[in-house]
Amino acid sequence: MSELEQRYAELREIIAEVLEIEPEELTDSGDFAEEYQADSLRAIEILARIDKHFKVEIPQSELPELRNLKATFDAVSRHAGWQG
Amino acid sequence: MSTLFISGFASISSAGMRAGALAERVSSGQAHPGVPVGSLYEAELPAADGHALTDFDVKTHLGRKGTSFYDRATALAVVACGEALANAHIEIDEETRPRIGIALGTTLGSFKSTSDFSMETLVQPKPYLVNPVLFPNTVMNCAAGQAAIRYGLRGANATITGGPMAFLNALRYAGNAINRGYADTMLVGAVEEFTPHRAWMTALSGKVPHPAGEAVAVFAVSTVRMAPVAEVLAIANGYGPGGQGSEALAGCVQRVLRKAHASAGDIRLHAITREAESGALAGTKIFRAAQHFGDCGAATGAIALASVLELHEAEPARDGELTLLTASTDDGAVGAAIIRGWSRGGADRG
Amino acid sequence: MTRVAVTGLGPVSSIGTGAEAFAAALLAGASGISQIQSFDSSGFPHRNGGEVRDFDPARWLRRLDPQRWGRSSQFAAAAARLAADDAGLDLDSLDRGRAHAVLGTTSGESVVAEALTAQILASGFPGMVPELIEQLPAGRLAHAVSEELGLHGESLTLATACSASNYAIGYAYDLLVTGEADVVFAGGADSVCRWAHAGFFKLGALTETACAPFDRDRSGILTGEGGAVLVMETFEHAQRRNARIYAEVLGYGINCDAKHPVAPDRESISQCMRIAHRSADIKPEEVDYICAHGTGTPANDLTEARAVIEVFGDNPPPMSSIKSMIGHTMGAASGFGAIASAIAIDRGFLPPTINWQNADPELSGVDPIPNVARRATVRVVQNNGFAFGGNNAIVMLGAVR
Repeated sequence: MSELEQRYAELREIIAEVLEIEPEELTDSGDFAEEYQADSLRAIEILARIDKHFKVEIPQSELPELRNLKATFDAVSRHAGWQG
Repeated sequence: MSTLFISGFASISSAGMRAGALAERVSSGQAHPGVPVGSLYEAELPAADGHALTDFDVKTHLGRKGTSFYDRATALAVVACGEALANAHIEIDEETRPRIGIALGTTLGSFKSTSDFSMETLVQPKPYLVNPVLFPNTVMNCAAGQAAIRYGLRGANATITGGPMAFLNALRYAGNAINRGYADTMLVGAVEEFTPHRAWMTALSGKVPHPAGEAVAVFAVSTVRMAPVAEVLAIANGYGPGGQGSEALAGCVQRVLRKAHASAGDIRLHAITREAESGALAGTKIFRAAQHFGDCGAATGAIALASVLELHEAEPARDGELTLLTASTDDGAVGAAIIRGWSRGGADRG
Repeated sequence: MTRVAVTGLGPVSSIGTGAEAFAAALLAGASGISQIQSFDSSGFPHRNGGEVRDFDPARWLRRLDPQRWGRSSQFAAAAARLAADDAGLDLDSLDRGRAHAVLGTTSGESVVAEALTAQILASGFPGMVPELIEQLPAGRLAHAVSEELGLHGESLTLATACSASNYAIGYAYDLLVTGEADVVFAGGADSVCRWAHAGFFKLGALTETACAPFDRDRSGILTGEGGAVLVMETFEHAQRRNARIYAEVLGYGINCDAKHPVAPDRESISQCMRIAHRSADIKPEEVDYICAHGTGTPANDLTEARAVIEVFGDNPPPMSSIKSMIGHTMGAASGFGAIASAIAIDRGFLPPTINWQNADPELSGVDPIPNVARRATVRVVQNNGFAFGGNNAIVMLGAVR
């Protein structure tokens, strides 16, 4: 597993825990709110855990864009400056 | 005020959550020493043994979704509300939803949730680095609100404090809500969780003769007499300012006897929450729930009533007997209720 | 049927203590907001709140020993004493068994809870001080009132979060109409605390400087505190002693969203309004003023306004939020709302929503009584209270006819 794949798996695990599902249930494009009943509290907590785990601060104003796992990973990558 | 009937109930305590578990423990007549509780928390506890249901796991009852951020008090209450609905055969549909409510007794919600959340503001690098999903758990109405969400109950929903008085306060509140027409059925109960916080507070207070326990009991109450297991004949709560708690309790006991058209000799059992109540009805057999289940705080009165009703279920010969429930707080809040109990079907057999 | 009178008001607030001072502040559109001092707020980007500065319980309390009671209980007891005095009640002449105390709260003795938490941090669980443990139970808010005034009736603290005072007023109303009570002291109390400040900030629901309900750019609440108690009594009891009657409690409604722990639900709130109107036997067009829940968060104000328009139509009565002046006083909030409603009826003015600058196109039709109080004949008021847990409670008050 590449470093990026490893981080992707970690992110999946973090988000799944907040959404109260198993990591394998969380798809790349599944909408957090529509498909996993995430509310604003959970969205904020996902940001907080990303901050804690990856040491990456994503401003709360970007929350509306973080609709699914893929979009969230892209945002984390962008703010962290990870190279693909 | 029309008569209130209890058509079903459920409980969770250190004795388990199976129907009949309370009666089995109580029937031994011996005080229960508790079970090893060290595995529940990382924090050191004041004693190796306590009265917790150590293998309780909300996920086995309700699944993971929607429950993983419950605190223990919420988990206990939500599971017990569901069991009580089932036990009373209450059907929830669009018509009944707005007419079914909850009155849940507590001391101050989950102090562990509140204190842990507050602790984060002290130990995190920034005081606002708290978990927002846990914020509702710091509010005392969390358990009743989550139970309403879980079962879709939109009727009068109240969280009622009172420590040892909480259950009688909730019963009184629910009776009023039904009689005033705000709800047809109320789930009435009280909950207290076992946490290091409660275990230590109970031990440090120096006022409670029993170690901390946890329990929840929930009763389905309505004015409909449908295969009831109990009837609430009377309830009266009050306060004795300036240390007049005993006098105030004596007054409440007189009032419920009068309302129930009963005399002291008609009462077969007197269930108490604190030793100070033991003299309120001289000559009657005393039932101390705390001896069997630990100091269950707000849930003490509820678990006492659930125990009594399980004893009725086990012994149909007791059908129709009256129990006096009393409760009180250190400050001077007092209350009394008279309950007539039956085994299932006993009320209709005659 | 027994009618219920409001005969005494006891506000302990950041804009004034006592009915006279509070009414003057409402009329003036005063602000009680300042930088929080009761805890170290320096680590927070937003530091304002509605603290009751210089609250000296000993000044108001005659029987209660403040040393033995937490800040919220002190607020409750002081507010009750003020209300009793305002009502001109001779407590010695009361049938004390028929005099009750019913209080509401969100966080109970939150200051005590945080002090105990600091002790746990400093020296572990065994470091908790027993004297503080004794002060922790939330039930003590009502007990403080019962002790201070020597009441023998029920002493009940309801913990239905931010609508709790309306729950308390509703239950008090029931005690009076069912013949259980002559007099009930009803309201609520809460204290500013660090954990609520942190929680609301993290939710993005805490504004920086001023709370601006119904404004286009509103950005959240400010936490506040205080005690708000009303003397409620049967008309018969009030008239026998020639009491001044501020207003009549006409009825109330409660229900539960049963949907989400924190997000308000328009449909459920509309339904609660209808239940309250039915209880009070009032038609929507009879309502002259809505004392709004109006927290100042984008979500609450939008949901509340839409529910109002659903029930009242496109031209609803004026509705203002006194939270613009005192912040969100949590469990005391709808108690302050009820006091403001009684004052509006008695004095003939509508309290303003201060800090209001820009109309929100999403809230068209809403008249928030911007910035300046307005003279008006007020016959019927609807006092809204909503809460975490979906606990909605609405109290209807009216002028005495």
